[in-house]
Amino acid sequence: MNIAEIAARNVLRNKTRTLLTMFGVAIAIVAFILLRTVLDAWMVAAEHAAKDRIATRHKVTFVMQLPKRYVEEIRNTPGIKDVTWMNWFGAKDPKNEREFFATIAVDPKSFLQVYDEIVIPPDQIESWLTNRRGAVVGDVLAKQRGWKVGDRITLRGTIYPGDWDFQISGIYSAKRKSMDRNTFWFHWDYLNESAPLRARDTVGWIAARIDDPARAASLSQAIDKKFEERDTQTLTMSERAMNVSFLGMLSAILRALDIISVVILVIMTLILGNTIAMGVRERTHEYGTLRAIGFLPRHLVAFVLVEGMTIGILGGGLGLLIAYPFVNHGLGRWLEENMGGFFPYFRIENTTAVAAMGLAIAFSLIAAALPAYRAANLKVTDALRRVG
Amino acid sequence: MVPISYNVRSLAVRRTTTLATAFGIALVVFVLASSLMLGAGIKKTMGSSGRPEHGFVLRKGSDAELASSIENRLVSLVLAAPGVARDSAGAPIGVGEVVLVIAAEKEGTEGQVSNVQVRGTTEAAFALRPEVHIVAGRRAQPGTDEVIIGSRIRGRFKGVDLDRSFELKKNRPVKVVGVFESGGSSFESEIWADIDTVRTSFGREGVVSSVTARLDRATNFEGFESTVETDKQLGLDAERENVYYDKQSEDTMKFVMGMGIVISVLFSVGAMIGAMITMYAAVSQRRREVGTLRALGFSRFAILTSFLIEAFLLALLGGAVGAAFASAMAFVRFSMMNFATWSEVVFSFTPTPKILIMSVLAGGIMGVLGGFFPALNAARTSPIEAMRG
Repeated sequence: MNIAEIAARNVLRNKTRTLLTMFGVAIAIVAFILLRTVLDAWMVAAEHAAKDRIATRHKVTFVMQLPKRYVEEIRNTPGIKDVTWMNWFGAKDPKNEREFFATIAVDPKSFLQVYDEIVIPPDQIESWLTNRRGAVVGDVLAKQRGWKVGDRITLRGTIYPGDWDFQISGIYSAKRKSMDRNTFWFHWDYLNESAPLRARDTVGWIAARIDDPARAASLSQAIDKKFEERDTQTLTMSERAMNVSFLGMLSAILRALDIISVVILVIMTLILGNTIAMGVRERTHEYGTLRAIGFLPRHLVAFVLVEGMTIGILGGGLGLLIAYPFVNHGLGRWLEENMGGFFPYFRIENTTAVAAMGLAIAFSLIAAALPAYRAANLKVTDALRRVG
Repeated sequence: MVPISYNVRSLAVRRTTTLATAFGIALVVFVLASSLMLGAGIKKTMGSSGRPEHGFVLRKGSDAELASSIENRLVSLVLAAPGVARDSAGAPIGVGEVVLVIAAEKEGTEGQVSNVQVRGTTEAAFALRPEVHIVAGRRAQPGTDEVIIGSRIRGRFKGVDLDRSFELKKNRPVKVVGVFESGGSSFESEIWADIDTVRTSFGREGVVSSVTARLDRATNFEGFESTVETDKQLGLDAERENVYYDKQSEDTMKFVMGMGIVISVLFSVGAMIGAMITMYAAVSQRRREVGTLRALGFSRFAILTSFLIEAFLLALLGGAVGAAFASAMAFVRFSMMNFATWSEVVFSFTPTPKILIMSVLAGGIMGVLGGFFPALNAARTSPIEAMRG
């Protein structure tokens, strides 16, 4: 039996305490993983954004539109491959006004070219292109609302007043994690023909694919320069930059979650450190004996550190075991289905799991450090004299 | 009953363990109190923007000022409705305003933009909202390109500070001449400009986004509402202003509270386990003492209560420390996107006595729950065995 084994066996000395501590560590790891996953889920939008896409909007306010003719001008800019345009429609389902989902008017043909991560069965694309009132909805949204291909539905406009009739032509899924699967896409022509006169032939934003992702910044500048002296100026950004700026508006929350995820590790360390310190205090007499028969201080340090690490590993492992089903299947599924706009993809990243395990071990060593130091510096005579 | 001083001294003897456990609980209480305080801050900010005695009118079907547009000629019609209060000169108190969101570059960043709400308004807004007062500079001259800014966004965006200027439209800089406060409401995160400046800059000629009117009494709202909504041709929708702002903050609020509660629950389980470990150790170390107490005639129940009180005191100490730290968060400003308007609103953590007391008690309860099984264990001690060692 080597020292490490003896140390590991020490954790069985007080089973209740070890078990409780393990649970404490496990809970902390679950909380940590949950918080990191929330952060990751937000970052997904920025990290998985298409690198070869740029979007142009009104320079000052997203409330105002761009003239439709800007689309052609952007198309004619060297370096641009495909162009499409969209309008935020902002409608609600009168049967369920509380639950929000995005409704966007698009030009189907060019839209599917620019957003090639959207997956729709070919026959459904065919019927969407020919049906002027046709709409395509995300699979998550369709499931949540119980919509099927062929269903006729009516939405109530909040920006464009009135009731609007649609027919579901298809249901899409996405190849890219950053794509929201909760959106309702429909024909821009349908909106344009029925919109009030002053809102006609205007577009909310223009999205374009570019030849060379490395030129996203310079192309964006070139486009903005083109419209600099016109009535309506533009703001062009890469898809990634746009998602990052959206995250910037949530930066205070992100920072708070970041801090809290560290706080939980500190709480975990306190619980762990307390347990190990108690164990060491109770065994003072024993350690005195070990020293007396020739074990060196470094042996005692090893005893304590390995004991702490064992609890850390067991607790961390238990935490991962709980976290995976809880986050990936329970909460994650629920969030993807109900808050897909914020969390299109809510799963534990492998790096998060590895980091959590690593931190559980690292912090258990930190927690064990002080008790280990105390054990090593015991005077044999004091230790043996002490009644504990 | 076992005297409480016995528990206090026991806690003091095992100082390190007591402090470690209490600190763990303190952190949990800190997180809990902070999220409740932020929730209260959001409520306060949005709640004080709207008043029950104000009637708030949008175009029917719009659920936010941003999406609404009402023809200018309807403003006077709304203000002429029965129940609208009048000033000494007999003019109705109310205002039609244009509201927009602009992208502003954050101060101290390289091209990071964020959305800020701009309100195109008139002098009448000051009569309607007497809580709005200038804290630096002066009011904007009506009909000019001067603007005033809310105190909470001062200096947060490029050009949004006293005596500086920024562009609403190309070659149309507006100058900041004043900074205002409004009792902590969300107006303090807005830019107020002249209504015509905003209209011409953004092509909103002839329309407003919303009409707000002061009513004689809050109870007059029903009459006002039915007059405004009766004529279906007008296509208007009236609400009490406070109801509107409550709805505006609902999603943000739910989000913050939901997140805060999930985190606090997970954390308090951790803290309870910490308390349990500590109390189990306390019980096992004092097995002999407990036996002696039992032999002296203290009942099982007295022992149980004694240990529960000890756990409660331990947790209360942690709770008090956590709540004290959380109160310091009152000085922190928290800028967050309001999901309803897509623009940034600056909230503050608002400590209320209720929140602080509740959080400290929540800490104490964690202690009692965590200490229950150890205390039960102690109460079951048989005096003879314990004293035999």
